[in-house]
Amino acid sequence: MKRLEILNFKSPNRAPLKVEGFLFGEESKGPSIAIVGAMSGDHINQLYVASRLVDYLRQKEEEGKIIGKILVIPAVNTYALNMGETFWPLDKTDINMMFPGYAQGETTQRIAAKLFQSLQGFDYGIILEGRRDQGMCLPYVKIIKSGYEDIESARDLGMRFIHYRPYSPIETVMLQYNWQLWETKALSIVFGKNGAINNTTSSEVHEALVRLMTKRGMLDLPMFEGYSSNIIQPEYITVLKASRAGIFDSVVSCGATVEKGDILGRITDALSGEKLEKIVAPIGGVLTCQYASPLIFQNSIAFRIASVEK
Amino acid sequence: MGVIEEVFSIDLPVGEQFRIQRCRYTPKEGETSKRISIVSGIHGDELEGQYVCFLLGEWLRANPDKIKATIDIYPAINSLGLDSITRSVPFYDVDLNRIFPGSKNDFLPAQIADGVISAMSGSEIAIDIHSSNVFLREIPQVRIAKSQEKTLVPLANKLNIDFVWVHDAVTVLESTFAHAMNTLGTKTLVVEMGVGMRLGKAYGHQLLDGILNLMAEEGFLAIEPLNVRFPIQSHVGEVAYLNASQPGLFVPSIEHCQMIEKGSVVGTIVDPLSGATLDEVIAPIGGILFTLRAYPIVYEGSLVGRIFGENG
Repeated sequence: MKRLEILNFKSPNRAPLKVEGFLFGEESKGPSIAIVGAMSGDHINQLYVASRLVDYLRQKEEEGKIIGKILVIPAVNTYALNMGETFWPLDKTDINMMFPGYAQGETTQRIAAKLFQSLQGFDYGIILEGRRDQGMCLPYVKIIKSGYEDIESARDLGMRFIHYRPYSPIETVMLQYNWQLWETKALSIVFGKNGAINNTTSSEVHEALVRLMTKRGMLDLPMFEGYSSNIIQPEYITVLKASRAGIFDSVVSCGATVEKGDILGRITDALSGEKLEKIVAPIGGVLTCQYASPLIFQNSIAFRIASVEK
Repeated sequence: MGVIEEVFSIDLPVGEQFRIQRCRYTPKEGETSKRISIVSGIHGDELEGQYVCFLLGEWLRANPDKIKATIDIYPAINSLGLDSITRSVPFYDVDLNRIFPGSKNDFLPAQIADGVISAMSGSEIAIDIHSSNVFLREIPQVRIAKSQEKTLVPLANKLNIDFVWVHDAVTVLESTFAHAMNTLGTKTLVVEMGVGMRLGKAYGHQLLDGILNLMAEEGFLAIEPLNVRFPIQSHVGEVAYLNASQPGLFVPSIEHCQMIEKGSVVGTIVDPLSGATLDEVIAPIGGILFTLRAYPIVYEGSLVGRIFGENG
């Protein structure tokens, strides 16, 4: 294992920002993959999975099980992680909105540029992503339709769901889109709840990463098969919104199979305790996502259900 | 007297509502479908537009007989942000101006965006007033994506601003309020002026004159057009960006909005710990310093100024 300094950025008043990568194996022996962990300060689960993976790969390298080249960068925005911030602490910009980066630009553009430079040339690229909202979700693969996406490598993760959808304009400045454009088979795994660690979810993502690396010839290991992934397009996801605001109580968990008519959650008035709403499944399917904060806004998305029928 | 209307509302969890309000002024007599929207506070740390909204409301209250069409004033879109000194939408940490046109089936910021679009679509013109953020001070300017140059520059020239900046838009700007509204057929101008979290009275009065002039020329007010300044046009020169080469404390050497010669010192970056001067920020071209850093802590890459040089 080589411990690489991806970038070292001086601060006016605090210790330098150091982004480190952990490199295993050799490119000449097989394909290559780069895995990027926490780009935001609240992506703790992503940090946890990536750092566990480093430890795992170190052991496998000692056992001679690594064939290709594997780079893991557990954390990019360590400054934010260290102070409970989500984005770059000074100007609150999101590093994952700065790709492909600009070496002569503003600070987070420069960070993105150096990071992107270190990610060039890999056959596969995985971004461990947190959510952009207050939800928690079943781990899923996110692939955007850029024209360069590779569904087959996504299938090899063996995860239950692949969310395959058109990209929004804002995603053209994110890592997945640009990485694909630069000819790496890039995808994201979105999982967990921001700011928290879930061991079950983390293990599932860890296994998926090891499975992909095994199937794609970077690791020489026996490995259980995963799911035959369901590719879900946006029209097969039913969004359930809270019609009232208040205290939110979910009675089911992500991953549960629900039937039409099942009660999924309740909302009570935060001051009077009055029972305001029961959220009922309008369709059967798998609960892929739920609101994960005890206080809910009116019209917030309380649940998402993936179905095989519209 | 304008009529205050609530155009969007969402219940918050504990006994409160998030709401967007407008003050609507209509002609005393006759009806008109002609409508203009004056918008501010999409970012919670930008307050210059609130003052302009006040000044405009004050003028309209005093001159109700001059109103020829519907004039809507929206001073506070991100009201939670404005009341908590938060640029983005609190709780979600999302820049509202990167989520347009929004959606009814997405999280709160997207629903707010959708509500804003619903309320304002159908307006003939919209003026979206921003300050800069807390880091930079800007002269009054309108920024226009190149694809909308032909439609919007003639309107911007009526606004009594100092600078019209036509730029190559990156795709991310397709997520802004202005892009969404322009796509829907509302000619939308984005004004940037001043600095975040502060109020510049002079700029407010300057833009008020511009808005009154534009409304006079476009048939919203029955007044004579005002004698307004004609802005510098970006196509006659180039914009140079000044980025910090070192982390430290940026100490400007000159005032904002000054003519500056190529090679002169815009400011220094110093180290408060050692007492050393780390770098001098040198003007790469001559011209007007139309952006100057207001918040002194800088990292490598922090924008400290922009110069527009008429002769390149």
